[in-house]
Amino acid sequence: MTLSVDIVKRGGKRPTESFEREKLHSSIVAACLSVRTPEGQAENIAHTVTDAVISWLELRPEVTSQDIRIIAGRHLKSHHPEAAYLYEQHRIVI
Amino acid sequence: MTTFGSLAIIALAALVHASFQLSVSVLTLLSGHAIGAKHSQAKVLRLTTSFVGGAGIMTLFILTFVSFVLTRVVGSSTPEYLWAIGSGLLMGVGIAVWAFYYRRQKGTSLWIPRSMAKYLSDRTKATKQSTEAFGLGLSSVIGELIFIAAPIVISALVLIHLQPVWQLVGVGIYTVISLFSLVVVWVLIGSGHTLSRIQRWREENKYFLQFAAGSGLLVLGFFVYVNQVLGPTLGGS
Repeated sequence: MTLSVDIVKRGGKRPTESFEREKLHSSIVAACLSVRTPEGQAENIAHTVTDAVISWLELRPEVTSQDIRIIAGRHLKSHHPEAAYLYEQHRIVI
Repeated sequence: MTTFGSLAIIALAALVHASFQLSVSVLTLLSGHAIGAKHSQAKVLRLTTSFVGGAGIMTLFILTFVSFVLTRVVGSSTPEYLWAIGSGLLMGVGIAVWAFYYRRQKGTSLWIPRSMAKYLSDRTKATKQSTEAFGLGLSSVIGELIFIAAPIVISALVLIHLQPVWQLVGVGIYTVISLFSLVVVWVLIGSGHTLSRIQRWREENKYFLQFAAGSGLLVLGFFVYVNQVLGPTLGGS
């Protein structure tokens, strides 16, 4: 599914791109699996979180990738705090 | 300096090396990507083992290379000014680590060039094979060269005064001890601990680790200065 919303990449150096549900879904599944969540549960959580992010996006024409990360992390936290922690930490580990 | 004293200095320098966190960060990230990509536990272990092996080999190479260069440059008798430079380097880096090691933000981001951090991060994400993980281990040691240079130089200065057999022992001691924190994380990952728990511990204790690393460098620098610069000067006058 592709929404008509432009995603401004981190730092604004790379060109904007359109939102891809699958990309967000995969990143949330990966975060859940990283904390050894069963695959089925990870898929379910990713579906729920992705839906929540999409409904948040529908009202906005342009957002940054960081905004999406924050909103996804916020929703993920209510379903799986440990996965949300790793999802949030991903870019600030090194 | 006695053989035991020399090995003790090398061990302390290696312990300071082990307290630096770049390789641990990369290993944590590598495990996260590998587990998140649905790799089997055996594959995760292969990747992390190769990474630790790469870090160990690069540490070994750098230490032996610096020792070789110092042997060629100064021979078997190290002039006092080199000890003074070495101890100054240790204390300077120690103060810098106290002040700057971690960035003042959430997470465990380090004061290394962002281009290097991005390179390591991108390579970690792209790593699928054990050979790539091995290369990543090599690169991560290069990435923290700015911090490990001081303990490596001082260990090399100590090493070149030892008998050849003890030199090998010294190189072995340094390499094994410097891998200590990596091995601990490797064991934790291998035994099924969650990465969030490991990362949370690292984040919560990052200022303690920073303080310990900086203090270790300062103590080592002070000891080397007193033992190798001040001692002979006062003893000789």
